[in-house]
Parts: sequence; C-alpha cells; structure tokens
Amino acid sequence: MMHSSPMTHIEEASSLSPEFETPARTILLIEDEPVTRASMGGRLTRLGYRVLEAENGLVGLDVARRVRPDLLIVDWMMPEMDGPTFCEAVRRDPLLKSSQILLMTAHDTPAQIAEGLARGADDFLSKAASKQEIIARVQAGLRTSRLVRELETAGAQLASSMRLLQVKQVEMEADLQSAATFVHSLLPPQGNPVRGIAMAWEYQPSLLLGGDLFGVMAIDANNLGLYILDASGHGVAAALRSAAVMTFLRADNILQLFGSYDPAQVLFEANRRFPLSAEGEYFTLWVGHLHLPTGSLSYASAGHSGTLLSSAESPSRWLTHASFPLGFDPSAQYTGERVSLKPADRLFLLSDGIYEVSSPTGDVWGRARFQAVVDAGKRTSLSATIASCYSAARDWQQAQHFPDDAAVVGIELIGRLEETCHG
Amino acid sequence: MPITERIVPQGTILDVVGDLTYANRAVFKAAVEKVKQSGCRHLMVNLEQVRFVDSAGLGLLVLVSQSFKLVQAQVSLLKPQSYVREIMSLSNIPKMIPIYETEEDAFTARAA
Repeated sequence: MMHSSPMTHIEEASSLSPEFETPARTILLIEDEPVTRASMGGRLTRLGYRVLEAENGLVGLDVARRVRPDLLIVDWMMPEMDGPTFCEAVRRDPLLKSSQILLMTAHDTPAQIAEGLARGADDFLSKAASKQEIIARVQAGLRTSRLVRELETAGAQLASSMRLLQVKQVEMEADLQSAATFVHSLLPPQGNPVRGIAMAWEYQPSLLLGGDLFGVMAIDANNLGLYILDASGHGVAAALRSAAVMTFLRADNILQLFGSYDPAQVLFEANRRFPLSAEGEYFTLWVGHLHLPTGSLSYASAGHSGTLLSSAESPSRWLTHASFPLGFDPSAQYTGERVSLKPADRLFLLSDGIYEVSSPTGDVWGRARFQAVVDAGKRTSLSATIASCYSAARDWQQAQHFPDDAAVVGIELIGRLEETCHG
Repeated sequence: MPITERIVPQGTILDVVGDLTYANRAVFKAAVEKVKQSGCRHLMVNLEQVRFVDSAGLGLLVLVSQSFKLVQAQVSLLKPQSYVREIMSLSNIPKMIPIYETEEDAFTARAA
C-alpha cells in the first residue's frame, strides 16, 4: 500500500482530493503501531492527501524538518520519542514551531487533553474517531496551517520590505544630510562679516533640513546687507523653497538687479517672484541694509515679526511694521524705514520658532519674554545672550527639541563707527 | 483640533478649538472643504477657542479666503484671542480677511 512503506517515503496523492484541498496537502503521520498507521494512512490517502509516515517521534522530526508538512498527526504512546515529547521538540524548533499538530490517543481523558495541549499539541484525534470526525479535524488543522503559512509568508514579505525601506531610509538620510550640509554652508560664518561688526548665531532646524534661513553679507567695505527668512511649514519642501529665495537675496544678485541693496525694493521683487503656493506656503522676510560709516540702518518687513534692536542706553524695541508676507497680495507695496545705530548697539534677527514654543499647559513663550531675556543679557557676550534665549525657550517648553525651525542671529556694532570703517 | 460646524441662516460657522498649526492643517482643510462643497456663501471661522495660530495656519486662512473669493463667497474670522490677533495684525490679515467680535457683526457686515 502506498502509505505503509518505507517509513519516510513520500506518498503521492490519490485522485480523490477533498473539496477545497487542491493541490494535495501533505500530512505526516507518526505512529509506531503498523496496523493503526496503515489504517489511518489509507484513510487519509483515500481522502486525497499526500501522506508521509514515520514510526516514532525521532524519525518524524527528521522528516518534518526536511519536508515541512502541512499537518502532523502524532500518536501519544511511542518508543524512542512519545507524542507529547515530539510536540515539545517541534515547538522548540525554529523551522517547525508553527506546525499544526493533531495528537492521537486511545484514551482522551480531560487530564490527558490538558497535558497534551500544555506540551504543544493543537488538537486531538481519537483512534476510534469516525471518518466524518477525522475529516473534520484534519480539515480544521489544515485550515489553520494554511492561515499560519500565509501569515508567515506575509511576515517574510514584510520583513523583506522593511529591509528595503531601511536601505532606502539610510540613502535618503544621507541625501538629506548632504542637503543640510549644503544649506549650512550658505549661512554666514560666525565672527566678523566686516570690520566693526561682530556676529554670532544659533540655528536649530526642527528637522534635519530647515526652512528658515538668514544672511549677513558685506556688500562692500561700508555696507552690510542682512536678512532673515521664515518659511511657513518645515522640512525638505520648505528648505528647497527657502534656498531659492536665498539665491535671489544674494548681494551680488540684488546689486545686479537694482544697483543697490534697497530693502523695500528687494521685498517688492521677492513678493512678485514667490507667490503663495497651492498648499498655502509662503515666506515672511525682514531685510536690512546697514551703512557702516553712519550707522544708518534701513529696513523693510514682509509680514515678519521683526528684528529686535537692543541698545545699551535705552529699552530694546522691535524694528517691524504690519505688512503682507510674500505672496499674500501680488500688488503689495513695502515701505522702508530707517533708524540710526550707535556703537555697542545690537540687532537680533530671529525666526518665530524661537519664541512660538508652548509650555506643557499650552501657553506660548512669546516675543515679550524673548525680549526680556535679551534685555537681561546686555552685559554678556552676543553668543551668551543667544544661548540664554535658547535655554529660556527650552525651559519654557520643557523640551530640548524645537517644534519649528528656530534661528537667532546677533549682530553688534563694535568700536566707533567712523574709526572701524576708515581706520 | 475639534471643529464643530454650525449652519446659520447667514452662512456656516466653524467653531475651532485648539491650535491652528502646521500639524493640524489637514483637519482644518477637510472641514473647510466640506463647507465649500455645500455651496456656503459665507464661512465664519470662530477662533474664540484658538490659543495659537502659526505661520502655516495663517497661510491656510489666506488660501481658504482666496478660494472662497474665486466663487464669490466670503470668509470671516470671529473673536480671535489677543495673541492670535497680534500675529494676524503683523501679517496684515485684517486687510485681507474681515475680523469681527460677534457673530451678529459678521452677519450684518455681510448683509450690508
């Protein structure tokens, strides 16, 4: 008979495949008693299953590892390795542990069932079971087996996709890091952009790549151009759009376009070139032009919250006015204003991300608190004052990470203006 | 950010609670789009319970206002808190989107 010998021979399925079970599923029957094995094997073969046989648990384990059957039917009492011990071995085996096991017994008492289940069996099959019961239990076991296999396949595919995603993630992060390095290279170097001006800044993008950017540029020995650009939103898209505006704001580009660095004219042209995006993204921009020999600062703002002027002798004040951000109104006009700076005066250009941080109870830190920190730091160095601003903002939000890009640029006029510029 | 829609004879009021920010923009956009699809002629965004609007939130309000104007409809803002009003003033929002202190003021202005 096909199912009886040799013990590990793989039998072919009969033509009587049961409904819903094509192609033939493989069942490993492990039973030491030849007559019972032949009888059960014959029944299963006639039902259309492909039947493998083994005479004890040890041989069964070997066959199972090589073939990975869909269902294991195991006798309880066997020499060498009995059914419950076989179940335990299967559950410990990484390759076989999800196999479905039907444990065959002659006496299925509640205590025996409990022990069998505890040691790794999934279901029981009485040796005296009717044909209908055998079909029902085998089919139930095979259904579960199919679901487990599908889950395993899906899990393997998921793991494979995860590995692919991780590789892509690493590549993307490398690209982002490269882009961030490039954007960082566009920012002015710390120190003295021109004689007579000290500068320090700190920038904490909310993501690897930030959308808020700033510039402090020597137009020539007597003139300094400065701006801070605040992009709505953040991330790669905001950074790309900001880089485009930054290119436009380069001193050589502006001088080529207009012949001078006039803040109001710069904003008018920027407003024309950078409209509100379809997603509602836009920029606020503050542009300044400092004439070093006289200390005259002309500036204009496009919806920006402003630059803070901190003077040694008088209270600090915001240099800004109500105006449309870039792109809100294509016909918007921008007006320039002028203020005179004195030696030791400081300008703080900042993005709203530094002060629009919320406490755990939802209260915003706000511009006024930022201003208070700057006022308290008049006698400390520029970099120390900026560090205090970040520290106070972090204390307020009780978190290190800023939810939006946070930039603060400090500029200080050092020495007498005429001397620093001409001597 | 919970948003409740109230239909009144003069239009639709969206009562917004929480922060109108970059993180919440999808919820707000979905609520506005639903109102727009209904053919509403006057959308009033009630900001009384909004403590903070960031730059992305402002951009969204302007975008919504512009899209309503394209179909001869109007957007108004109601009762912004002082900090929100300050942010809006810096960006000249009141010149673009009318702001009212009461619903009745918004109804009257629209009717006039």
